[in-house]
Amino acid sequence: MTERRRRSIFDLIDEYFENLEESVKRLRETLMEKPSWDRKACTIEPLRDISVTPTEVIVTVDLPYTEENTIRVKPLSKDVIEISAKMRRKISFDDFGITHYKGEFQTFHCQTRIPVPVYMDKMEVRFKRGILEIHLPRKHEYEIPIE
Amino acid sequence: MHAVKKTWGNYLEDVKIVEKKEIPSGCTMLFGFPDVGLVGVIAASHLISELNGLEEVAYVDSKLLPPLIVLHEGLPHSPIRIFGNHNILLAVSETAIPADVIYPIMYALIDWGKNKKVKMMISLSGIPIQERQDIEELKVFAAASNADVLKTVQEQGIEILKEGYMVGPQAIMLQRCASIGVPAITLLAQCFFNYPDPEAAAEVLKGLTKIIGLKVDVSKLLEKGEEIRLKARDVMRRTQQELSKMKKTQEYDMPLYIT
Repeated sequence: MTERRRRSIFDLIDEYFENLEESVKRLRETLMEKPSWDRKACTIEPLRDISVTPTEVIVTVDLPYTEENTIRVKPLSKDVIEISAKMRRKISFDDFGITHYKGEFQTFHCQTRIPVPVYMDKMEVRFKRGILEIHLPRKHEYEIPIE
Repeated sequence: MHAVKKTWGNYLEDVKIVEKKEIPSGCTMLFGFPDVGLVGVIAASHLISELNGLEEVAYVDSKLLPPLIVLHEGLPHSPIRIFGNHNILLAVSETAIPADVIYPIMYALIDWGKNKKVKMMISLSGIPIQERQDIEELKVFAAASNADVLKTVQEQGIEILKEGYMVGPQAIMLQRCASIGVPAITLLAQCFFNYPDPEAAAEVLKGLTKIIGLKVDVSKLLEKGEEIRLKARDVMRRTQQELSKMKKTQEYDMPLYIT
């Protein structure tokens, strides 16, 4: 007879966050190994971060030189958002002292996968000190009953 | 060439500090290494551009580091270099230091500094704070290697980081200096965890000014804030990966008091 160990709600929560952390880590590492710029599209990829609270997912994006009215946040599917923003001036490789590549960039662009279900239609966005904050209320699709 | 004696595992045999110039004794040794908000690196980079006569005096040569050089004007440089003048030695890294080699690299640098009779070591870094974008005035905290140094810091009006965890090169520096009897301070400005934070770098430099009386104008650093944030993106990305490996978020943890 197989004996099933009964796990507490705390074990389940711990496991859930460990899995979540692992997924975010894997995603980050995947994102790392490519240039942070796309010369053909003339875009650069901004730094971003995701945190999951009990009630919402908060995505922050570092957007220096950005004109606030050019920021666009678009849901692409139920768990992916696309962020773009135009910079106040064009940035070239020369500005970084790099002469072996040529190209100019004026747009930040990235896509971000949201790790838990959220209400995309209830998204709230604010921009302060060059940091874009996207708040997505969490969708709690099931609950674990406490015995 | 100064080969550091074996004091930490077997790794130190592979970490060498190569001196390019004569190193004066009695200097204050500063550290600006990649960490949260890249506070230390940005501050160190500003010091190099602002202070007169700060030039490369030594560099780290180690097979423990990734196979990477930094090219400046077509010439190769170690990613970890020491700049100096008659009273400052500044160790700075231009790339994220892999989490698993921080111990030997820091031990080597600290032992080298002690050998050069530095009078004090100060690490410039950050302490992450949530909702950083909502904070107008950033605080600077300090921790020290012994009670006397801590008292001196407190007298300069810098708040003490009384309890909690510290993770990263600055933690190793403090612990190592405490054990070998070198006065040391870690200065930590409140900052973003994952984004380059020039404002925090400016605050940490103001804290440094209070402690060692160094005159540093931070106005250019603040003016160039957006440019620095843009340029520092890739180093920040690499640093994020190493911060994750060294469990940096432990600094948010509530400490367990054992008395």
